Amino acid sequence: MTLTLDILLSGLVLGGMYALIALGLTLQYGIARIINLSYGEFLIAAAFGALFLYTGMAVNPILGMIVVVPAAFVSNWLLYQVVLMPLVRRAKNQGMLEVDSILGTFGVLFVIQGVMLVTFGGSLQSYSYLSVPVYILGTTLALNRILALVFALIIGGVLYLFLTRTRYGTALRAVAVNPAAAQLTGIDIRAASALAFATGGAIVGAGGVLISMFLTFSAAMGVVFTMKALIVVIMGGIGNMLGALIAGVLLGISETAVARLVDPGLTIAVTYALFLGVLLWRPTGLFGRPAR
Amino acid sequence: MSPRSIGLAGAVLVAVAAAAALPLVGSGYHLALGISLLYFSVLATAWALFSGPTNLVSLATAAFFGIGAYTTAVLTELLPWPVVLAASAVVGIVVALIVGLSTLRLSGMYFVIFSFGLAELIRQVVTWYEVNIHGSVGRYIFADTTTEGIYWRLMILLAMALGAGWLIRRSRLGLAVRVIGQDEVVARHVGIDTTRAKLALFAVSAGFMTVTGAVMAPRWTYLDPAIAFNPVISFEVVIMALFGGAGSLFGPLLGAVPLVLLFDVLGAYFPTYFSVILGLVFVFIVYGLPHGVIGLLESKVAALRRASLETGMSAFAERVTGPVWSRAAAHEPATDAPVLELIDARKSFGGLKAVDGVSFTLNRGEILGLIGPNGSGKTTALNLISGAIPADAGDIRLDGKAIEALPPHRIAQRGVARTFQLVRVLPASTCLENVIAGLAFHAPPLWGEPADEKARALIARVGLAGREGMPAGQLTYIDQKRLELARALALDPHVLLLDEWLAGLNPSELQDGIALVKMLRQEGLTIIIVEHVMDAIRSLCDRCVVMNTGRKIAEGPPAAVLADPEVIRAYLGDADA
Amino acid sequence: MSKRSLAALALAAAAMGALCAGAQAQDTIKIGWAISKTGPFAAGAAVTTLPNYQVWVKDVNDAGGIKVGNKKMKIEVIEYDDRSNSEEMIKAVERLATQDKVDFILPPWSTGMNLAAAPIFNKLGYPQLAVTANTNKATEFTKRWPNLTFWLGLPSEIVDGIVETFAKMNKDGKIGKKVAMVAVADQFGIEQSTAAREGLKKAGFEIVYDKSYPFGSQDLQPVLKDAQAANPDVLLAFSYPPDTFALTDTAKVIGFNPKVFFVGVGTAFPGYKGKFQANAEGVMGIGGSDAALPGIKWYIQHHKEVIGREPDRWASPITYASLQVLQQAIERVGKIDRAAVIKEINTGSFDTIIGKVKLVDGQNKNIWAVGQWQGNDFFGVAPLNKAGAKPVIAKPAWQ
Repeated sequence: MTLTLDILLSGLVLGGMYALIALGLTLQYGIARIINLSYGEFLIAAAFGALFLYTGMAVNPILGMIVVVPAAFVSNWLLYQVVLMPLVRRAKNQGMLEVDSILGTFGVLFVIQGVMLVTFGGSLQSYSYLSVPVYILGTTLALNRILALVFALIIGGVLYLFLTRTRYGTALRAVAVNPAAAQLTGIDIRAASALAFATGGAIVGAGGVLISMFLTFSAAMGVVFTMKALIVVIMGGIGNMLGALIAGVLLGISETAVARLVDPGLTIAVTYALFLGVLLWRPTGLFGRPAR
Repeated sequence: MSPRSIGLAGAVLVAVAAAAALPLVGSGYHLALGISLLYFSVLATAWALFSGPTNLVSLATAAFFGIGAYTTAVLTELLPWPVVLAASAVVGIVVALIVGLSTLRLSGMYFVIFSFGLAELIRQVVTWYEVNIHGSVGRYIFADTTTEGIYWRLMILLAMALGAGWLIRRSRLGLAVRVIGQDEVVARHVGIDTTRAKLALFAVSAGFMTVTGAVMAPRWTYLDPAIAFNPVISFEVVIMALFGGAGSLFGPLLGAVPLVLLFDVLGAYFPTYFSVILGLVFVFIVYGLPHGVIGLLESKVAALRRASLETGMSAFAERVTGPVWSRAAAHEPATDAPVLELIDARKSFGGLKAVDGVSFTLNRGEILGLIGPNGSGKTTALNLISGAIPADAGDIRLDGKAIEALPPHRIAQRGVARTFQLVRVLPASTCLENVIAGLAFHAPPLWGEPADEKARALIARVGLAGREGMPAGQLTYIDQKRLELARALALDPHVLLLDEWLAGLNPSELQDGIALVKMLRQEGLTIIIVEHVMDAIRSLCDRCVVMNTGRKIAEGPPAAVLADPEVIRAYLGDADA
Repeated sequence: MSKRSLAALALAAAAMGALCAGAQAQDTIKIGWAISKTGPFAAGAAVTTLPNYQVWVKDVNDAGGIKVGNKKMKIEVIEYDDRSNSEEMIKAVERLATQDKVDFILPPWSTGMNLAAAPIFNKLGYPQLAVTANTNKATEFTKRWPNLTFWLGLPSEIVDGIVETFAKMNKDGKIGKKVAMVAVADQFGIEQSTAAREGLKKAGFEIVYDKSYPFGSQDLQPVLKDAQAANPDVLLAFSYPPDTFALTDTAKVIGFNPKVFFVGVGTAFPGYKGKFQANAEGVMGIGGSDAALPGIKWYIQHHKEVIGREPDRWASPITYASLQVLQQAIERVGKIDRAAVIKEINTGSFDTIIGKVKLVDGQNKNIWAVGQWQGNDFFGVAPLNKAGAKPVIAKPAWQ
């Protein structure tokens, strides 16, 4: 019984981290329709930002978010307006935009990674913040990881309410479902997409700061997070906040359960097996709309 | 052969001979560069074999490459080289078939990430196996082979990959995947077994990737899952193929060669700023070459443009790829029994009962009008008949045989052809290819010269003579409808389903259209039309079935049902009742 | 567009031209390396290998160069990025040898890369000082490729040191016999843990938990919780740097306080102490430095001055020492004669920052198997009979 509870809570915390990583991408891909392969690079850049503020200027990472998150928002907004907008304008259909955005953001990935390599070097970075135990229902958890879960829940919840309960959120969802029709209703698609993309960037910035508190990272590691985020997003159903949260938590709990009950050697295998299984069962993810 | 093509063939021969002689004259570095060029060329070409026409972007390249490398690692000391390579091809193809069967129904990003996840899963499982069963993660490969040997093997492999691509392009298989890539629904309705076609290509593509891995493995002496299943390979191959142009045979080659050279030059001269410069180059490539290198060449070189439009139907290619297809069902001989029967057919979408217990029969040689207000379930009923969507319950019989459980391509092969409410042509294909798509997959299939002739005749028949070579996307809306009809007729159907085919025509076009449909009936076709144009219904239909909110509310001659108060109420709403 | 493609063509042609330029009269010694500056191996190479190459080149050139015969030749560096890809690395090595015609090639980072490079180095006749390669088959490989040398000790030798340390602590009554062992599921982790399993059993230890986890795991709490539940005296982890940090952090959080806390690669990084501060005290790992040696003291300080941070205490000093060996071998031979240099490396005896180095079967035996954080340094504690070995201290509980 305690073991079950332990697995559930630890899994929930790990899953919270996965969801946190994925939420920004749900916005960028689900609404702005950009497959951003440089997504993980922004996460790492934010982690470097937090590291620099903490070790260099003794600013604690939570406060550091006040700097990092707006910076991430602005840089992603610029990325969309400067680099991606020409591709969006040029694309005749979603397929073309997907191919172009894959190629374009693949380039951006290299640029950001290269700049970080030149600036910070390739070595592993790590610092300690809020790495203190918290006892919940007889289980010991790390405070910094719990914080990531709490942020994921807050961000996911707020975005879900924003998208479903407000006028502007509804407009954004309209853009996601049918860009052409959304235009007819007088929505400025490009502004809306840029905003969604930048918000996604801000969220991944927050994620990067939180994750840097407990994961060791290096300039070359971004793609690991991009792929993890894509898996969570796809598993949850593109553009669905609740889907991303639930998919993240499912992955976290099953990973923890396998590590405790079967063999830690199979944890990553089970992540992918679960992901593949879900797609075989529901080809458009847990909460995805059918393709047509 | 013209002198020009002889000259071209000569130039190609010289180039191939020069490439083959590289190991004899070049330095070790040239050879290593040559190997890089070749293995990426093979992988990109193999990738585009499947992903080019189907538009399904696969990130599973590393999975197959790694499987090949591991096959070599395990077998190399037990078996002679050719057997190792053959074994790796078999393993790769078997894995591809198993994987393909379960995954090819995914589309878009779902497929992309699925294929990535698959590669990672295989890597994790191999690692777990090596740790727990084999007792060591790394394997050492001391194969009795030379660098030159690897180079030449890769050359042969590239030639085979290009040859396979050439053959497939000229066979029905190639046409099938071109159709699937443009519109999978159309593909199913012209009798293409889309699963088989995609599976076959996926397996061929995977086979080449696996053998590439098997050939390359001895280069590295030491192999572990991180080296063999390096996901970066998958990404690089996608980028190369897309950069070159995945839609044409030589496109991937035109992407792989410059990019490998670019990587090399950047890595050598700017080791510190490699990433930044490479990234900027990528971004500029995306802006500068929207259609890939091949697009640039096609716009500059007229000869290439012609070559790229040329489909070519080769009997030889067809013989090679023929075994992909199962025997298509022949049309049933005519009887007096009703051609088509719907018995208590039902279909719901969530809570909405789109077709709610509808029954009717279709007699040989008649035109049945299926009418009713918008949203009454007419198109859904047609979709149930053509197999586009499966019925929840009820029987549908064609010539007395149950078809409700059959996939659409089987129903199409049994003689049911249709047009779509929102016209569906293959926009990037020529009009000729659009119609040949209808001829090539029914029973018995037409290919080559006979198909060409028949297609031209059908195009002339719907009044599009002279536009055979025009891409269908450039036709006007009305002409696209004509083309769609020609494609449906190409299936040589005995039941034709026309979904608002007459909508949107001007009065004179409407008269032409009505005359055409009448003529089709005289030729023995049995037709169901879904229509709102009352003139057409009155002048064409022998009988009408009226639907409202998923149910049949009336049936009989047009004049009678149109006067039925319930029908009027259905059309005009309850206020008038 | 055509202008742009012309420009690209010109660039490529210029590049090719530059490649084919012949070797000038030699007054410098050309040394090249292909190393992972990007990709998953970049992090490791950036800690252990690349900084030492840079420090050494600077040191040699500051001193006027390598003395070859009667003239001093400065080092000219040619560097390539192998992008963490074996095939790229092989290509770059071929390029260094056949295009750039470098005099010596320094090895890439990691066991796999070095083994992939071995046939090429051998074919081309260059000495390969494979410092970051660690395999039990080292003796077999040095026989097959006599130009190849290993420097970190066999995994079994490292394990011998570990077992020896634990056995002594047990004999002294400091710890019991229960060991929990975890390993990263790659060649390093599996070779070490396989050897340790055998060695520990032979020494009468009881392995109460024994699991591997995949490379790249982002949460090791489940592993540690089960290890903790087995109530061991020793946690022995053959981990990689991110996991080493995560294991320590997690153990601290969940209050897992075994008497011996031994973690793998990364323990010897200065960043480990930087992150865990007082909690690093008493933690054991592979490697170590001998504070009594003046060379090591100088090296740590010097590395910090040149690179801006301290070196790790396992492979870094050995990397630098291997380069000193190379330099001395060249100077003793007195000319750029690679075959003679290979012979000298294998048979000669050298003075380095880690003390005297004399290869046996192409392998350096002057290694620390176990080190321990004591105060501000990571001292070598085993082999117990090695000169300069510090006595093991008891690890305090996490703060």
